Amino acid sequence: MLQLQPQNLLVEEAIGQAFAPDYTPVFLDRIITDFDFTTYHLSTPESKTKLLLSISIKCWNDLVNYGVKELLLSKYSKYPFIQQAQPEYGYDYSLYIDVEQATFSDEEEKQQLIAELSLLKRNCFAAPFLQAFQRYEVLSKEQPVDPNNLYGEDSPNNSNEQVLQLHYRDMESIYIKPSNDRVTVIFSTVFQDDTDKIFSKVFLQEFSDARKRSIQKAPQVINSHQEIPLEIKHLEAANTHNKTYITFVLFPRHLSTEDVKWNSITHIQLFRSYFHYHIKIVKCYLHQRMRFRVNSFTKILNRARRDVDDEEHRSERKTASGRRFEMRA
Amino acid sequence: MMISRNENERVLIEPSINSVRVSIKIKQSDEIESILVDKFTRFLTKRAENFLILRRTPIPDYDISFLLTNYHNEVMMKNKLIDFIIEFMEDVDKEISEMKLFLNSRARFVAEAYLSVFD
Repeated sequence: MLQLQPQNLLVEEAIGQAFAPDYTPVFLDRIITDFDFTTYHLSTPESKTKLLLSISIKCWNDLVNYGVKELLLSKYSKYPFIQQAQPEYGYDYSLYIDVEQATFSDEEEKQQLIAELSLLKRNCFAAPFLQAFQRYEVLSKEQPVDPNNLYGEDSPNNSNEQVLQLHYRDMESIYIKPSNDRVTVIFSTVFQDDTDKIFSKVFLQEFSDARKRSIQKAPQVINSHQEIPLEIKHLEAANTHNKTYITFVLFPRHLSTEDVKWNSITHIQLFRSYFHYHIKIVKCYLHQRMRFRVNSFTKILNRARRDVDDEEHRSERKTASGRRFEMRA
Repeated sequence: MMISRNENERVLIEPSINSVRVSIKIKQSDEIESILVDKFTRFLTKRAENFLILRRTPIPDYDISFLLTNYHNEVMMKNKLIDFIIEFMEDVDKEISEMKLFLNSRARFVAEAYLSVFD
């Protein structure tokens, strides 16, 4: 499994079952966890045919500032049998789905709804990105890209642009900064382990180089291990926890159509999980490899073990002057 | 007696009346290699009981120490022991550089896989 899936498999499965034609309503109470301290709660509080899907996200308050509620409303309000319920206690957002009322014109529509529901987390995280993309569109109209700007320097007007912040983990954040010809997304991340940190340098180096080498369409990746990128210098006073900063520069080609936008959002918000996940995989592989190697060394050493042969044994034990030991009977 | 190729790769052999201690400093040219060496030697020393001749803690400035005593000489053949140490030295370098190459190629692969989905 190389890519992480943006949807939550368990939510997808549970809802898929609920909408299946041969579904026998059952009592549900499931708590499902996802990346970045996200928790889903799927339950049937009143009757077995009414599903309550709740989500709790660590940076919900940040998301609300960037219009997550409006976005979710537009996503889910087109289905008449889904109500935007009062958030369940301990959760941030709830959807109340009445399975009995659910009607679909065709199979495709059903699949699409199941996908949308299992992508609830992605949809929540999409709000600030969409807002930044909108702002980029406004800015690019106000101030068209100067074709003479060969070196891709940021124009001075952009430096005052508001930076959208998401504090999605304890010490890690996402910063999004729109400008007239690009959208910059900066991740800050912390490694608990020194080994991980060094491995991460190797990985990030490859991320930066990949674009130069083969994949010209990809966003530009810039990484810095100690220094705070200029875009967010005014927000972070000092790099206290030895954070690593990774900057993605999304160019207009990543923001051209709706589909492309959603694709960019889906992938970029999975970056941290993907990155940490692959570091763990590599460590695991190296571990296996070392174990194998140690075993082979043990084998080589055991080859040296002699079959105990007393006679030969005695003949080889000598004193420094070359005389043999004679055992006294 | 010390045999060294350069500052970072050396072998120290200390003879005594009934034993020989062989200590090896494995080549470490950057921090990735030093992590790999550290992990690898830790792996080995944790299994020291299977390894008879391996010391649990290497002597300062070296990565790994073997202690060959007269007891080992009794249960094992001398020339095979020497073979083992030589083979060990050759293989360790090879293993470390292979692991490093693997890490780099894996990182490249992962990065390309991630970035190629953007379009």
